[in-house]
Parts: sequence; structure tokens; C-alpha cells
Amino acid sequence: MRLCLAVSLIASLCVTAYAQAPAKKYTPPKTPDGQPSIEGFWTNTTVTPLERPKDLGSKEFFTPEEAAAYAKKVLETKEVTGPGTYADVHYDMSQFGLTRAQNKIAGNTRTSIIVGPEGRVPAMLPAAAQRNAARAAANKGHEFDGPENRGLAERCLLWGNEGPPMLPAGYNSNLQIVQGKGYVTVMQEMIHDVRVIPTDGRAHLDPSIRQWFGDSVGHWEGNTLVVDTTNFTDRTAMRGSSENLHVVERFTRTDDDTVLYQFTVSDPSTWEKSWSGELPMSKTAGPIFEYACHEGNYGMANNLSGARAEEKAKASK
Amino acid sequence: MRNRLVLGFVALGMAAVPVLAHHSFAAEYDPGKPVKLKGKVTEMEWINPHSWIHLDVTGADGKVTSWMIEGGSPNALLRQGFTKTALPAGAEIVVEGYQAKDGSARANGRDITYADGRKLFMGSSGDGAPDAKK
Repeated sequence: MRLCLAVSLIASLCVTAYAQAPAKKYTPPKTPDGQPSIEGFWTNTTVTPLERPKDLGSKEFFTPEEAAAYAKKVLETKEVTGPGTYADVHYDMSQFGLTRAQNKIAGNTRTSIIVGPEGRVPAMLPAAAQRNAARAAANKGHEFDGPENRGLAERCLLWGNEGPPMLPAGYNSNLQIVQGKGYVTVMQEMIHDVRVIPTDGRAHLDPSIRQWFGDSVGHWEGNTLVVDTTNFTDRTAMRGSSENLHVVERFTRTDDDTVLYQFTVSDPSTWEKSWSGELPMSKTAGPIFEYACHEGNYGMANNLSGARAEEKAKASK
Repeated sequence: MRNRLVLGFVALGMAAVPVLAHHSFAAEYDPGKPVKLKGKVTEMEWINPHSWIHLDVTGADGKVTSWMIEGGSPNALLRQGFTKTALPAGAEIVVEGYQAKDGSARANGRDITYADGRKLFMGSSGDGAPDAKK
């Protein structure tokens, strides 16, 4: 059942009554070597927040009408900033077509990406909270010493949306999936990284080898691609995670225009229990435009020179 | 050895307004230094993470200063049909924003319009975006 609502002149939002298992049986097309096809250009732009708003409690699903009303509210909310405030020091995203209302959105009736009665990331273990607090404390007062003191996103090394798990980016939230014999590759526009996922049944890399995106191996269960990722470094700290992060993702083509993306995150060094989420990805028009993040990264130099100017101004007072 | 740690980027929950996190504009620009610049475009860099518009601004004293204006990622503009010819050299635009903290001729493009007030590329829906296809 689909309810389409024109939420603005540009965006229209079709909300699918979403359940864990889609009502209609769908057989996806196959790639030349017989894999179920999840190929194509997809967007995971969404109005659904990662964590359930507290006032919704344990309500896991909206009715289609509630979902459409919620989406309308989110898309029509305009950022209000006061002149001369830090919040005002930015460009108007709508001028560049970067707001969600100007882009395609995969509708769904969930109240949060994280599934279950709580719909929130579980409590962090005390040791993990301490570990993360110590990191922040060590960098306090040194945030602008040099490039290594800036976040990974600012350094254009990787962005948090990339994960895994892959979550919506603030804008340009698009990806392309290409399947070859024995591999599925996922290219995320933000920030032009490619995940190469072998499906030949190989084991994970030796635990001594750690990678920024971890090490992913995949296999098919019916029409679902299951991807298991381990061997993370301790540098990415996805929501405060450690190198013991373990992510399992599932990709299932549910109709011609939709791939259901599900994930489970566990890290016994960080959270008391694992947490799972799901989000539909909607077909979008290609191509993926290259987001060569560091090529135009004047911001890094400008941030540091701004900090040096501030220090000079303070010193001369 | 100073303990330099790379802080992980914390994935942001999708709040009502998507928050840009790749760098802090407040680190680059001074909210106490608002500027309003009117000038002729000399160049537009269609690059990521931010596009940059180069603007020749003539001061009251007749001196021409070359400003760099920071804008948004061009990927979405391309998808809307704006190409690098959408802002030709010589076009007159007005930029409201904030000047760089280090005092150089840089500003963020808070609002970028033609001289008559029309948004340069596109406004929010219903604002009547200028003709994209050229």
C-alpha cells in the first residue's frame, strides 16, 4: 500500500507500509552470473532519524498518514538562525539543492532507523565512556594544533555515514552497487569510497590486519546479500566504538525500485548489547558525481589559519 | 610526544535539519564580521567539499579586491541541471556572508543573489529558481 503526498513543489514522498517482510513476493532480476541483482544507483536519503524521538516511546511504526505528516513536518522545517550568531555562519543549503526536500527520499513508516521497542543506541559501557572521554580530554585545547587534531571528516579521510553500517549522509546521500563474478562493490558518493565485498566464501583477514572500513566478506542467503565486517581500526570510533566493532549488513531487493538495507552493530567493548536498524534505499538516477573531498579542501587550511589568527589576537590583548 | 588523537567522526542522527559536519564554518569565519559584497564573477571552482566563487569587488576607493566565496557542494547543482556555464565570468552577483577570521578576502556565501535579489542557483521550493538549462 502506498500513500503519495506532495510535500513540496519539488519533493514528493511515497510512503510504503513497511513491515519486516514485504507483503508481496518479489523475484529480483539476476546478474549475468546468476546473483540476485541489487545493482544500480540508490539513495538512502530519509526523514527517519537514527534514534527514535523520546516522545514516541516504544512506538516503532507510524500509520502511513502519520508517516506522511511527519515527513511533511521535517521537510518543511526551515532553519532559523540569528544574524551574527555562529549558527548563521553558513551558506543556505537550499541554494545549492542540498536539502532533503530537494532530493528523493525513500519513504518508510518506521519512527527510527534503529528497530525494536527502544529504538535507540543502547547505553555505553562505563569503560567505553571513559575511553571516549579520555580521547576528548587529550585533544582539548589542541583541537586546532594541526590537521591530525581535526576530525576524520574534515581531513577527508572518511565520513561517518560510510560506516559500515552505511547511514544517510547530510546530502548527496547516494551510492552505486556494481556486481561482478564473486564480488559486490558499493561506491558511496560521500566520500567517493568503494567497498569491495568478496562473495567467494573466503575467511576474514588475520586479526593483526586492521582497516579503516574493516574487512567485509559477503554471501548470499536466497535473495539477500549478507555482509560480515570485522577488523576495524580504533581510529573510526563509529559512535564511540572500538576496534572490536562487528557489523552485519543485509541487502534485499524488495521491488524494482527498492533495496532494503538492514544492519546489526555489536561491540562488546562499547555497548552492553547489539543494536540493529533498517532503512529502505530508493532507486535514483545516476551518475554518481565524484566527491573528491580533499581536492578542494581549502577549509582545512582556512580553519587552521583562523585558529592562528585567534591566538594572535588573544596574545596581543 | 604530545598525545595527538584522531577523534572519530560521530555519525549524526538525522535531526530535522541535516547538519554539515565536515568542517566548522565558525572556525573559518567570524560572526562578528558580516560582509555584503557586490562584484563581478571571475571564476567558479566546481569542486568538493565546497564550491568557491571568485569575485572582483570594487571598493569605494576604486581599488579592486579579489574575494573567494565559499558555497555548497556542486554535485546537487549538477543534478538540477546547472553546469559550469551557469555562472559565467562577468556575471554580477551580491554576496552576504561573514569574513574570514584571519582577515583575508574570503567569506562564506550565506546568501548569494543577482543584483535584483533573485537567488543565484535555486531557493527553497516555490522560490522560483532561475532557468537551470542554458
